[in-house]
Amino acid sequence: MTVPVTWPSESARAASREESRFRITRPLAPARNARVIALDPAAEAVARRVARGPWAKARFYTVAGAAGDAAAPLLELHGRPAALADILTGTDVVVILASEDTGRAQAAAIGRECGARAITTAGVVLGDGFEADGAMAALRPYARVLLLSADESDVFELLTALRV
Amino acid sequence: MLRKDINELLTQTGPGTPMGNLFRQYWLPALLAEELAEDGAAPVRVKLLSERLLAFRDSEGRYGLIDEFCAHRGASLWFGRNEEAGLRCPYHGWKYDVTGQCIEVPSESDNSSFCQNVKLTSYPLVKIGDLLWTYMGDPATTPPLPEYEFALVPAEQTYTSKRWQQCNWLQAFEGGIDSSHVTFLHSGGLKSDPLFKGSKGNEYNMKDTKPFFEVADSEGGLFVGARRNAEPGTYYWRITPWVMPNFTMVPPRGDHPVHGHFWVPIDDENCWTYSFDYHPVRALTDTERQAMIDGHGVHSKNIPGTYRPAANMDNDYLMDREAQRRGDTYSGVAGIAMQDASLQESMGPIVDRSKERLVPADSGIIKARQKLRKAAIALRDEGVTPPGVDPAHHKVRSAAVVLPVAESFLDSCRDAVTVTPGVAQTTV
Repeated sequence: MTVPVTWPSESARAASREESRFRITRPLAPARNARVIALDPAAEAVARRVARGPWAKARFYTVAGAAGDAAAPLLELHGRPAALADILTGTDVVVILASEDTGRAQAAAIGRECGARAITTAGVVLGDGFEADGAMAALRPYARVLLLSADESDVFELLTALRV
Repeated sequence: MLRKDINELLTQTGPGTPMGNLFRQYWLPALLAEELAEDGAAPVRVKLLSERLLAFRDSEGRYGLIDEFCAHRGASLWFGRNEEAGLRCPYHGWKYDVTGQCIEVPSESDNSSFCQNVKLTSYPLVKIGDLLWTYMGDPATTPPLPEYEFALVPAEQTYTSKRWQQCNWLQAFEGGIDSSHVTFLHSGGLKSDPLFKGSKGNEYNMKDTKPFFEVADSEGGLFVGARRNAEPGTYYWRITPWVMPNFTMVPPRGDHPVHGHFWVPIDDENCWTYSFDYHPVRALTDTERQAMIDGHGVHSKNIPGTYRPAANMDNDYLMDREAQRRGDTYSGVAGIAMQDASLQESMGPIVDRSKERLVPADSGIIKARQKLRKAAIALRDEGVTPPGVDPAHHKVRSAAVVLPVAESFLDSCRDAVTVTPGVAQTTV
């Protein structure tokens, strides 16, 4: 196929440094209502540190009571109980933090509920992952992405990138 | 979304910049060996990390990569004469060896030691596989030579090409760890490209357009696993390794050769994309090699005598709307390499990442940026050697597997993603 060559083409013009300044600049509002749920004490400690960040639409929760109880209520970080159904109302993305297997049942329960509501779910498995194999397996069917991370700043980076 | 200052940190690779210093910790592809095919070949201009250099192979077969410009008056040595174990500036006859050492200044007296004090910046240039590699960092900390499998297998098992890409290295590289675009942008190629078509994995790829991702640290960088539904009770996994800072591999398809890329900054608005195909245990067939030469698979059809793709921004990438309508190509641009390059170049020379709207499926990119930033800062502030310098980190493979739903790709595929000489790739 022969295509007449004109220079500069629109592709070349549009990709030039000079033309880049004409790209429409529109302030980007925080895009997503995010809920961050920590499933175990180590994950909760990370959530508490990350929660100090400048988030506009992120809320943080932890799991109350005995580990491994899928029906255990969720708590806001300052201790007030919160029902999962309420937490998920109006939510765009749920980020689940786990560092060990004790949260496996909750992970599955939250994942199922998010799946039913078509809420995008991400899981961050903190540590080397070996202690949280079960939580990972429970999350796998539901989490659009699972991040196996030895670095807790991944949580901060993920939330920043998602503009929450 | 990335703050402007972090975007600048990651995209600027000139001398003295944090990312420039990071890149200067590694052996990097400088040019193809075919560009200096014989002793005494014509010198080749090489711009790397915003430094203008000149590569030459002297009459004794030694390779050199030196400052492009003569120390005398600043004339380009590209016009030089490659003769008798050195490169002579045609302006006043100053002559340099492959280390950049001036070895002759004709205007000085015969016994003058003047030229001993004249030395151009130079970097080592070493042939491994189809590539000439250079290390542009502190000579005192020169790392061991690279040990990527594609460069170490016998010559009949490997093929490498390169193309000029008119955008910053980072946006080109990020395409290499972004598995979710394949189902859309490259859907035509999965059906028709001679180096892609015909695998069972392609069927999984096309049936499930919403992959799930798992991202895990590796010693040298990351493994990005993309998971799609396969038969009931199983997932099809495509595992992409990234070795810092700029090496990625594409998960294999059937018994096709395995491919991958190096993304090397020329300057902040251009990069070289080196694309390779190799088979770990057999020679490439004549048909496969010819397909690569013809620009199929991850390779590009270039303008003869250059490494500029024939389809490029100046001709709107030979956009073919009829092919797009028919579904031969998804974007209307032919060829997997140029389908990627056309979109990455369309973002502009350095995309403004402060305007992005990323989604969780972009976590591989988010994590890679974080690792690059941390490594650049750790090097700058504490002198920490970054991941990917150690040749042990180079011995990774991509893989494609079908696993039971409960299995972690990382636990199940440790052998598959590790180079074992003489053992074939793990593929579907």
